[in-house]
Amino acid sequence: MAEMKQTTLKINDREVTVAPGTLVIEAARRLGIEVPSFCYYPGLSLQAACRMCLVEVENAPKMQTACTLVALEGMVVRTDTEQVHQARKAMLEFLLTNHPLDCPVCDKGGECELQDMVFRYGADQSRFLEEKIHQPEEKWSELVYYDAPRCILCFRCVRVCDEGMDVKALGVGQRGAYSVIIPNREDRLECEECGMCIDVCPVGALTSGTYRYKTRPWEMKYVPTVCAHCSNGCKTTLSVRNNEILRANNRDLSGINNDFLCVKGRFGFDFTQHPERLKQPLVRRNGKLEPTDWEDALTELAARLKQVHEKHGPGAIGFLGSNRTSNEENFLLQRMARATFGTNNIDHHRTADYAGLIAELGERVGGALATMQQLGEAKAILLVGNDPTVQNPLVAWQIRAALRLRGARLYIIHAQPIQLRRLAKQFVEVPIDSEPGVLRWLATGRGKLDDKLAAELKALKDTLDKESDVVILFGSEVSGAATRDLVAFGSRLAGQTRYMALGDYVNSRGAADMGLLPDRLPGYAPVKDPQPREAFGKLWGASLPEKPGLHARQMLDAAVAGKLKALYVVGANPVKTFSLVAADRLGGLELLVVHEMFLTETAKRADIALPAACAYEKDGTVTNTAGEVQLLRKAAEVMGPRTDFDLLRILTHQLARLGLGRGIHMRTPEAAFEEIQRSVRGYDVSLAGLLTGGAAASQPVPPANGGTPYDVPTGKIFSSRDTLFTSGSLGRYCTMINSLSEAKTKP
Amino acid sequence: MQLPAPLEAKFNELVKRYPRRRSALVPMLLFAQDQFGHISDALIGEIARRLDLNTLQVTETLVYYSMLRRKPAGKHHVQVCTNVACMLRGANRIYELVQRKLGIGHQQTTKDGMFSLEEVECIGACTGAPAMQINYDYYENLTPVKVDELIDDLDVGRRTEASPYTAGALHERHPAEVPVTSRRWGIQNSRTLEVYRKHEGYQALQKALRQMTPDQVIEEVKKSNLRGRGGAGFPAGVKWSFVPKDSPKPKYILCNADESEPGTCKDRPLMEFDPHQLIEGIVIAGRAVNAHLGYIYIRGEYRYVMDILDGAIAEAYTAGLLGKNILGSGFDFELYTHTGAGSYECGEESALMESLEGKRGYPRIRPPFPAVVGLYGCPTVINNVETLSSVPSIILKGGEWYANLGSPKNGGTRLFCVSGHVRRPGIYELPLGFNLKRMIEEVAGGIPNGKKLKAVIPGGSSCPLLSAEEADLPMDFDSLAKAGSMLGSGGVVVIDEDTCMVDLARRIMHFYAHESCGWCIPCREGTHWLRRMLDRFHDGGGRAEDIPLVGELAKNMLGRTFCPLGDAAALPTISIAKKWRREFEQHLKGRCPYKPAESLVGTL
Repeated sequence: MAEMKQTTLKINDREVTVAPGTLVIEAARRLGIEVPSFCYYPGLSLQAACRMCLVEVENAPKMQTACTLVALEGMVVRTDTEQVHQARKAMLEFLLTNHPLDCPVCDKGGECELQDMVFRYGADQSRFLEEKIHQPEEKWSELVYYDAPRCILCFRCVRVCDEGMDVKALGVGQRGAYSVIIPNREDRLECEECGMCIDVCPVGALTSGTYRYKTRPWEMKYVPTVCAHCSNGCKTTLSVRNNEILRANNRDLSGINNDFLCVKGRFGFDFTQHPERLKQPLVRRNGKLEPTDWEDALTELAARLKQVHEKHGPGAIGFLGSNRTSNEENFLLQRMARATFGTNNIDHHRTADYAGLIAELGERVGGALATMQQLGEAKAILLVGNDPTVQNPLVAWQIRAALRLRGARLYIIHAQPIQLRRLAKQFVEVPIDSEPGVLRWLATGRGKLDDKLAAELKALKDTLDKESDVVILFGSEVSGAATRDLVAFGSRLAGQTRYMALGDYVNSRGAADMGLLPDRLPGYAPVKDPQPREAFGKLWGASLPEKPGLHARQMLDAAVAGKLKALYVVGANPVKTFSLVAADRLGGLELLVVHEMFLTETAKRADIALPAACAYEKDGTVTNTAGEVQLLRKAAEVMGPRTDFDLLRILTHQLARLGLGRGIHMRTPEAAFEEIQRSVRGYDVSLAGLLTGGAAASQPVPPANGGTPYDVPTGKIFSSRDTLFTSGSLGRYCTMINSLSEAKTKP
Repeated sequence: MQLPAPLEAKFNELVKRYPRRRSALVPMLLFAQDQFGHISDALIGEIARRLDLNTLQVTETLVYYSMLRRKPAGKHHVQVCTNVACMLRGANRIYELVQRKLGIGHQQTTKDGMFSLEEVECIGACTGAPAMQINYDYYENLTPVKVDELIDDLDVGRRTEASPYTAGALHERHPAEVPVTSRRWGIQNSRTLEVYRKHEGYQALQKALRQMTPDQVIEEVKKSNLRGRGGAGFPAGVKWSFVPKDSPKPKYILCNADESEPGTCKDRPLMEFDPHQLIEGIVIAGRAVNAHLGYIYIRGEYRYVMDILDGAIAEAYTAGLLGKNILGSGFDFELYTHTGAGSYECGEESALMESLEGKRGYPRIRPPFPAVVGLYGCPTVINNVETLSSVPSIILKGGEWYANLGSPKNGGTRLFCVSGHVRRPGIYELPLGFNLKRMIEEVAGGIPNGKKLKAVIPGGSSCPLLSAEEADLPMDFDSLAKAGSMLGSGGVVVIDEDTCMVDLARRIMHFYAHESCGWCIPCREGTHWLRRMLDRFHDGGGRAEDIPLVGELAKNMLGRTFCPLGDAAALPTISIAKKWRREFEQHLKGRCPYKPAESLVGTL
């Protein structure tokens, strides 16, 4: 594409050069000149309704709205004249006529855009003597309250719900000064409850059921971290007072998600304060789990692990990690399994075929994995399986952004009429569970499909060939051989192809990257490959096992059959996830250890259960489904639980004291991350971006394999099929979300 | 939901009229309301289903339009206009009488369900003021006695005579009149194709299709100096020439028949007496810009006029004057009417397009202008009824001939609706540049009861008012602009010396506050504030500091609102506050020193 000519204009006598098509309001921002506005909101359609951004333009007969005015070469703009100031003041005076001046008791006080504007540009006295229009506040749902008099009708909420979310649950009622925002079910809302409307509201008109009237914004500290729920890894800023999380949002618009959060991200933090939270270690005595202290629990744990190891050997111990714990914790867990216990019996609940994708891409992996930002800027998107609207809300948000703002095309191969269908240029409906066969056919032409489907797929293929750049998204429907076919198909498309595998939980991708796999070391190096095995062995001062271990299902089967004697579970609930119909104990296990927040189905059966901190209570890093690494920061603390990092680290020292392995001396997650950066291929990411709230794309390139294909990773991949209102075990303890009528009607 | 067969058929026909189904929304709602009396939740669901919308999209559109209602009204829905032209001729007293007689107030229904009442804004019967509508029927030149009898008749089910046509349209021609667009008014059956054809009808179309290229048509219209008769006065030919010739998109012709500017009632007779003239003008415009589809967006209150238009359109189709291969020329053009449902703002061209697309009537950001990005995002020519009705004469007799009828740069004639305090309210076709004073005194018979002229609204209530001293001027776009006002829509409202200008300002602001769409802050809040303040002021609660504030608030709206409605509210207010400041001061003593508007009835 030809280089686009830049545009130079003058604002308040200062020159600024911007890309063609830039709005004057943005050009001014580049110079650090604030042009006030309410209705203008980047990413949403333009309105020019609030008239706050009126500026003078040379040779224009009247003032122009900077939010709709496109910068032109040689344009001369003034934002600092008497007329402009007078207009702002007048506009605010108009706004305040029907706006209650109840700032002292308004939930928005202290962070209200109207308050700020009046402070900066407004008049110091009111000339409005007439009676204000009053309407009572309305409760639209457990989460959304609307106070019409405070509403300044900027329509941000309506637009974000329509354009951003494609939910269209908000509209405008009445007209003129009596205009109000109205919800989709007469007097209540029925929607995704994402709370975007509350988030974008510049005033106290829309308030949230979780936060309203609890505190003042200046009484809280703000901690940037990553949402604890799905695999998209939205950055969230937790508002915390006295160690209690009161609110989650991302108003500084940083990170991969800008201001986006879904219902779970925005309102799903109250599990931290749930009364059923485990706060003391539990040890089974006489068949009953009884509380004990940390010293006692960890001493007994080390002794019993040592005992099983001595008696039955490394193969009798298995480790199931988590797709919610941090990279550092996962890194430590697999190190302990491999270096301390000498086993590759380590896995986790895999929800997307990251390992398969990376194995198939091999050395082409660099640049072939799409980031969230790239997804939002994609020209064409192919979705195979998964329902991003409910399973991967940020992915769905980015897809909509690409379609809306970039004119991208969406293509879908799916067995269900998912919501994104209505935005798709082509939707190919396939029979349930037929995705592998369809991909086989697309990649190789082999297999039998009915004629209609074959014709549709042929048309899709032809269309995709005309696209210069395609991002392929796929869910758990695609794994193993199907991943191989997908990559084969994708790499034969005429244009550039990038991929994103869609998993379930906050660190699903990180768990795989960190080698919670029976046949892959961190960075997807096959355990059979001597070079990486020896390198990691040297790093950890041990000889690592060469033979691939049991995958999750095999471990659980072995446990039921009595062949596996000890199972160490960190932040997972395999009894539920793998639908085990075991009795009280997992078959012949001598020892079941569980790190958990709650007494889950698995924790209930444990011999030793250790109360664990959640993602909001720890430092570390997580990697989202696109492979982007971000920092977790400790926002709150609950008395009792410890981080998995500390538990694992301490345990290795206890074991070392008993003569098993070496103690891990890295005292902090930062130190562990430094080791990850140094040792895990693709994780040599820059810290600078992470420290400023950004994400760094990891590119875990597997070591060269001499041209031969890698083994398809073993183990089954399946999704928990969480909805917008569920989140695995964690979701059961999200009280507010569970109270929503939508959560009850759409289980 | 099961619909009655005619409504079912109507719905099915409606959705076929538009490239996008949603466009049928407002008409469907209004027709459904006609059938059921109001729009129930079940109907909302049914219409949403048919148009593939969610119920919220239907609801938010529905609540925007003042004619649409969710609660049942009476069998006879009495709508009394109290806007300026009617107010000056006693509408307030009529309204009070109806309230007393029925024992109900604004938007209330009698217990027996026979009557409901609504105070409404200008219904386009200004030269027949005071006027009201009962359901869709017009009753004009009302007196208290007539209204009393009318309600009694309706109550017992006796037949009543509605006004047969726009009162004030037919009258003895004044010698100064130059009938062009109105020249067939009064001819028997003028609305039929047969009569139209006998009087030069469709000869211009024949000429445009057979003898002229589209560019020549545009050139001729440019030459005529025909300027938009809706109010803004933009040269029509220039507007047409903005339509990109190379655009691959379909192009549309929109006729703006949403006549609602207070004081204006000339499009109504143009359509009821001479619908074919309009149709012919529209097809010629279509030919000029290579459009093949057009809509006449007509205000919901003008239902009988729409029926007339529909009849004429059907005739034109049958005669091969619409549809495929018109007059064997190879040119195709489809034309439909489209009803509004009560919104002044929808007369603003971009709001009209939103409304036609089935949405709330919010105006659009401009640029881009409709000629490039209009209806459904496609190039669109939108012109007023009178503008398009002038086109056949221009094509037939030449642009030069037309231009010469008027004054320089102001071609042709114009329909002036002279209302208010004149002896002969009426619609008069006069050349542009005709002297206003002469219009009032000679053509409309002067002010009754020996009263003196105090003020004139020269072109609908959106224009700055002229004082008696300023009224001696030629009525054309440029002269009015020079005098600090506007020629506007042709609605000349004459105000005598006994009228309270504060009350007038108050009534004008009521209108704009009622019609403000609510999109932008200065108009939404400014009109509301001024309305409340002027109410208080006129009721005797004024303070000295309110007087400069009226003008200041209006100025704070002026030029800063999203669309011209804000200016329309500000301009008359500024002019009244400035020119009749003394009357504001007189009110500070506690009560209005002028004759209340209602006492004027019967004295004319």
